[in-house]
Amino acid sequence: MSTNEETNINVADGVDHQVAMVMDLNKCIGCQTCTIACKDLWTEGGGTDYMYWNNVETKPGEGYPRGWEDSGGGWQGEQGEAHTDRQPGDIPSREEYGRPWEFNHSEIMYEGSDEPLRPRDGAEWGPNWDEDQGAGEYPNSYYFYLPRICNHCTHPSCVEACPRQALYKREEDGIVLVDQERCRGYRYCVEGCPYKKVYYNTVSKKSEKCIFCYPRLEGEGPDGETYAPACAEECPPQLRLVGFLDDEDGPIYKLVEEYEVALPLHPEFRTQPNVYYIPPYAPGQHTEDGESVDVDRIPREYLRDLFGDGVDEALNTIERERQRVRQGADSELMELLQHKNPAKQYRLGVFDDD
Amino acid sequence: MTDDTVRALTTALVVGALVLCSTVALASPLVEARPAHEIPVAERPGADLADPTAEGWTSVPASDVALSSAPSSVPNADDTSIERVHVQAVRSDGQFYVRLQWDDPTRNVSAGTPRQFTDAAAVQFPVNTSSRPPIAMGGQDNRVNVWYWTGNGGTQELLAGGAGSTTPFTSPTVDANATYGNGTWTVVYARDVATEGANRTDLGSTDTLDVAFAVWNGGNDERAGRKAVSEWHYFLTGSGPQGPPYQTLLWTLAGLAIVTVVGVTAFGVLRSRGGGN
Repeated sequence: MSTNEETNINVADGVDHQVAMVMDLNKCIGCQTCTIACKDLWTEGGGTDYMYWNNVETKPGEGYPRGWEDSGGGWQGEQGEAHTDRQPGDIPSREEYGRPWEFNHSEIMYEGSDEPLRPRDGAEWGPNWDEDQGAGEYPNSYYFYLPRICNHCTHPSCVEACPRQALYKREEDGIVLVDQERCRGYRYCVEGCPYKKVYYNTVSKKSEKCIFCYPRLEGEGPDGETYAPACAEECPPQLRLVGFLDDEDGPIYKLVEEYEVALPLHPEFRTQPNVYYIPPYAPGQHTEDGESVDVDRIPREYLRDLFGDGVDEALNTIERERQRVRQGADSELMELLQHKNPAKQYRLGVFDDD
Repeated sequence: MTDDTVRALTTALVVGALVLCSTVALASPLVEARPAHEIPVAERPGADLADPTAEGWTSVPASDVALSSAPSSVPNADDTSIERVHVQAVRSDGQFYVRLQWDDPTRNVSAGTPRQFTDAAAVQFPVNTSSRPPIAMGGQDNRVNVWYWTGNGGTQELLAGGAGSTTPFTSPTVDANATYGNGTWTVVYARDVATEGANRTDLGSTDTLDVAFAVWNGGNDERAGRKAVSEWHYFLTGSGPQGPPYQTLLWTLAGLAIVTVVGVTAFGVLRSRGGGN
């Protein structure tokens, strides 16, 4: 890892700048528009039907693919130690990704059946099978949505897992890509990624993954304009900020490095993700009589499991700044979290002249 | 010289002669056995052996090649399951055929889901047959050609100069046909002996062509460096070069040593008996 000369941000060796994304989980409504925006663009071809480079899952929940958090991958050792030994990982089964279901359309449409429209046998799991299920008991049940893309990690264990160096971090912006010419479909990257965000194309027999919409970043579209990734631009509540981690004037740097309210998912995997989350801030619990009590609705321990120990301080900071605003004071942090100006929300051209 | 001494010497000579004869007789088949890493290439003019089940293969000598897990940095590289492969090779009218047979209880011919891997086999030659490259996919200055067959019907002709550098030729010149039955894969590769273009092994350039083999059991998640591989062997065309007859020399020396020991022992025994008289 090297420290960018212009900032004090650590970016990966051989990488000039690092793209990053911050997702504010308090704004996600689980509409899956990001999922569909991504799928329409990148994974409609044969062999990619089961892939969701962007997915939105309900937490607590099994996620997509099912049980990915316990599927291994990443690096062994403690935070701060060298990245030398990778953690063994598994390749999820086709069932864990979920198979397309067969429905009884023909019986209802053509055979006069009056049974309800429903999947035939075999509909036992799929992406978002446990949507909105969450945990806890009424009136204190809880859940929140977790949108996930490739984290374009600073220490990508998928890159290290490939015996052919088919995966690599782009020098100019740290985007992790699979060279389709080099890939031979061994799938060590699939098992090596602890987030299970590399997928095996069952037709091309090669692995694929989120490309951070780099052609959009490069203005390769018909109008030649630069765009943020489709998952971000298409998001109805606009919960994503896109830019560079080492852009000190940008909101991502401030949220991650200054205010430390944007946190990586499962930092214990030690890949150092470059997608960060504003943790969910739920109202307190209620008594059976409907009285609000000062008890966390989302157990803090669960949030620590997801986002590491930094979650306590992050939530404290957010609460403190909220209080300031309630009392009429200005808060840069609250301003950052309420950006509605795409020019500030997506800062992509800042290093174009380098 | 007494009669006893004469008798003892005569006995010793007879015993020694018998031992020498039997030693040479026993040793002869061993002397004629093939060196461990030699695989003969049979000449079969006019034979079409592209079919793995072609009748012509029954008369082609087979070599039993031991396989073991390849040294590799990929996870579970030591967990491979195929321990040997039978190898046959034929030159016929400008064609070079290599037939591999190995036992694999599972027939894995699809990589159509994330966890499926296909069975596969490969034959490796040096691009430049005058020197022997590093066994693991060759080296940067000493590259290898690999004929790579996979259970889902694909055959690739590869060039490699070290682990991780494998690159397919865009216009392969190798064909492979395979059949599976009774828990055994049989794969026949065919290529013209002569070759045009750079980076392809000229199979006719030497009588002792270095060759190595690899087999993957897809059912055991074997792929990439997780594979069972052989050491370098060589295909011997014709009678090959005649080296010094080391084995004959060794066996003759051993025979003489035995004769001497037996003779001296017999002489000593008889002499001590005579002394007792």
